[in-house]
Amino acid sequence: MSKIAIMTDSNSGISRQEAKERGIHLVPMPFTIDEVNYLEGVNLNQDQFFEFLEKKAVVQTSQPSPADVIDLYKRLLNTHDEVLYIPMSSGLSGSCQTAHMLASEEPFENKVFVVDNQRISVTQRQSVLDALELAERGMSASEIRDILIKDKFNCSIYIMMDTLYYLKRGGRITPAAAAVGTILKIKPVLQIQGEKLDAYAKARTREQGKKIMLEALKKDIETRFGGLDAHTNERVQLHLAYTRDLAAEQELGDEMMEAFPGLDRPEIFPLSLSIACHTGPGALGVGVSQKLKV
Amino acid sequence: MSNAIDTKMLRDMFLAGAKNLEAKKEYVNELNVFPVPDGDTGTNMTLTVMSAAREVAALPEDAPLKEICKAMSSGSLRGARGNSGVILSQLFRGMCRILKNVEGDITIEDLVESFDKAVESAYKAVMKPTEGTILTVSKGVYEKAREYDNNADMGEFIDAVLVHAQEVLDQTPEMLPVLKQAGVVDSGGAGLLEILKGCQKYFRGEEMDLTIGDESESGEGSEKPKAKSDIKFTYDMAYTILLTKNFNIKQEQDFLKYLESMGDHASIQVVDNKAAMTVHTDDPGLVLQRALNFGDLTDIAIVNQRTNAEEAPKEEKESAKAVDPSMWKQTGFIAISVGDGLTGLFKDLGADEIISGGQTMNPSTDDILHAIEKIGAKTIYVLPNNKNIIMAANQARDLTKDKEIIVVPSKTIPQGITAMINCMPESSGEENLASMTEAMGLVSTGQVTYAVRDTELDGKVIHENDIMGIGDKGILAVGKSIEDTTIEMIDVMMQEKGGELISVYYGEDVTEADANALSDKLRAKYSECDLELVAGGQPIYYYLISVE
Repeated sequence: MSKIAIMTDSNSGISRQEAKERGIHLVPMPFTIDEVNYLEGVNLNQDQFFEFLEKKAVVQTSQPSPADVIDLYKRLLNTHDEVLYIPMSSGLSGSCQTAHMLASEEPFENKVFVVDNQRISVTQRQSVLDALELAERGMSASEIRDILIKDKFNCSIYIMMDTLYYLKRGGRITPAAAAVGTILKIKPVLQIQGEKLDAYAKARTREQGKKIMLEALKKDIETRFGGLDAHTNERVQLHLAYTRDLAAEQELGDEMMEAFPGLDRPEIFPLSLSIACHTGPGALGVGVSQKLKV
Repeated sequence: MSNAIDTKMLRDMFLAGAKNLEAKKEYVNELNVFPVPDGDTGTNMTLTVMSAAREVAALPEDAPLKEICKAMSSGSLRGARGNSGVILSQLFRGMCRILKNVEGDITIEDLVESFDKAVESAYKAVMKPTEGTILTVSKGVYEKAREYDNNADMGEFIDAVLVHAQEVLDQTPEMLPVLKQAGVVDSGGAGLLEILKGCQKYFRGEEMDLTIGDESESGEGSEKPKAKSDIKFTYDMAYTILLTKNFNIKQEQDFLKYLESMGDHASIQVVDNKAAMTVHTDDPGLVLQRALNFGDLTDIAIVNQRTNAEEAPKEEKESAKAVDPSMWKQTGFIAISVGDGLTGLFKDLGADEIISGGQTMNPSTDDILHAIEKIGAKTIYVLPNNKNIIMAANQARDLTKDKEIIVVPSKTIPQGITAMINCMPESSGEENLASMTEAMGLVSTGQVTYAVRDTELDGKVIHENDIMGIGDKGILAVGKSIEDTTIEMIDVMMQEKGGELISVYYGEDVTEADANALSDKLRAKYSECDLELVAGGQPIYYYLISVE
């Protein structure tokens, strides 16, 4: 059995501490804030990041430097037979493409496998945990990659933003931002599914937005995950993610459990900073993904 | 004794009917059930019938019956305003379907058959036909008429039909409780009777002026096309960039700003790897130079508007249509709105065209068709925002062939706003219509205005100049103070349906300070709700309120 190193980036929301405990190898995402470089989770945590945002600092995101990625590939291959890298969705960043390109060259070819399964945040995290489990079961890196890719669309994330300010300012996720006006207080609900980040619905109040998200999960479970029945919990994993307002997210968690009795209550994770810089503070998120088939 | 009329007589009787309604317009307006300052059934029906009359009058004296029928039918269809106007246009349309095939003189039996068809068309135009309205009066006309055949005298026939129509009209308060309560007969039915009375008078040989004035004389005409002197920039140019460079939203906005700085009428539509642009400018060379930065240029058209204005005055209007249908964007929006604030709000939400109108001024089918024509989009959503405009919008939809038109049956401005917010561009027209209609159903609307006369309605005694709060189903509050009445109305709305968000759109006759004072009180009273205060700038209505 080959020894596989599981590698991901900090968009998965996996902390350095957790990575260490679980034996995951983490690439921190770089941020340039007011022209100073930071690495997510290394010298930039959530609190510091939002302080910068509130001060209207100029925040730029970028992909991990190829040199750092190559270094990690090399280092991991010294101690492992294969490397499986699960970077953030190729629909949202070029980092996946870069990682893929680097992995296709000597001496990494057929040793480093990059999974383009178009996930981010809690569902990316889920893929990483699944990969650990599959490696444990003795699968090769390429087999794990194939399973994760086959499963890539079996997940959804919905995020309700408290403010449109950051999305507009970033000017990056424009199709979603473009369809929403600015005179009325509108809270857009975005959907991340596959490579797409789309406006899913527009709510006028928080309560309305929460209802929309829970309805969306219900619809997903009914139409894509085999429906709600006594065995749903064996098939489906729910997710919770947020920025800044943990109390509100916990409340959303309570409402989620009321809506889906019998499903496991998910742990709550902060949204990774590359999403948070577009949503700003006060974003509430929910997600659903398919569990690994035993 | 004669049992027939000739083509010339039919034509002149029709014109006489139109003229008679025009003269009685104000009387019909006053038959409004709600004592609000916007009764306009008379105006709407007059504008509808005059649109047909103008087309008929423009025909040569000896025009054949077929031509006259066509003019009556298409003129009223396109000019239709308001529900009563749309029903009237369907009556004419149904009638003409039969009459256009008549050879020689028109007999009583021909007329009876045409009335039958007219009534059938009119009933079909209404989703849920209500008795005690213009529909009932038109049916009464047919029912009396069919008692006669070609053995009867035309004069006696007309007189008998008119007497019966008047009886039916007088009965309308017995059929519709709202009419009885307001102490009026149905206004649409009264309008129809005035047209018939005009026909009768002319037939009897009364002296009548049949000259039909141009549009501006009938009151509110549509905007006149621009004169040559209005041209600010010489060249009307359109071109398409086959994009080879990155052209994201930011660059698109920058380019649009640049075009706007170069002139006016700037527009950009990006589809796949093509960006179609139009602008009126004095310096087309500079514009093309800049466009070259993003790729190769194709379909370049530059028209000198000043030299062209003499030969082809329509050229200016064509520029929107110059965009190839393959370049049309997926979705467009037309909202009917009134007031600067509300109009700005709809634009902010993404409306392409705003038709000015609402309670006091219902746009015609033709106005809506013009707006549809201007938008280069495959699917266009029309938000009538008034129950009296929905039918005209439906008629515009049925007359449009090259685009998918979705009429969202929004009855109030707040419903229209909610509908628009709930439209998702990726969904199909049908899906959106369903979700927008569903979202609208969750909105209750209240409108605050003043009474123009004494009346009793929904069990409430109303005096002239009282303040009234009108909900979706009737009067909710009556009082002397705008603020108190508004709050009382909202109390009822909260009790009946409730909600989490109260939106307050204040009108042009309300100061910002007054609106703020009201919203402070509402915030204190309904602390569990979100409150949104927006300057709507609408006339007549002090406040439009929505609870959702």
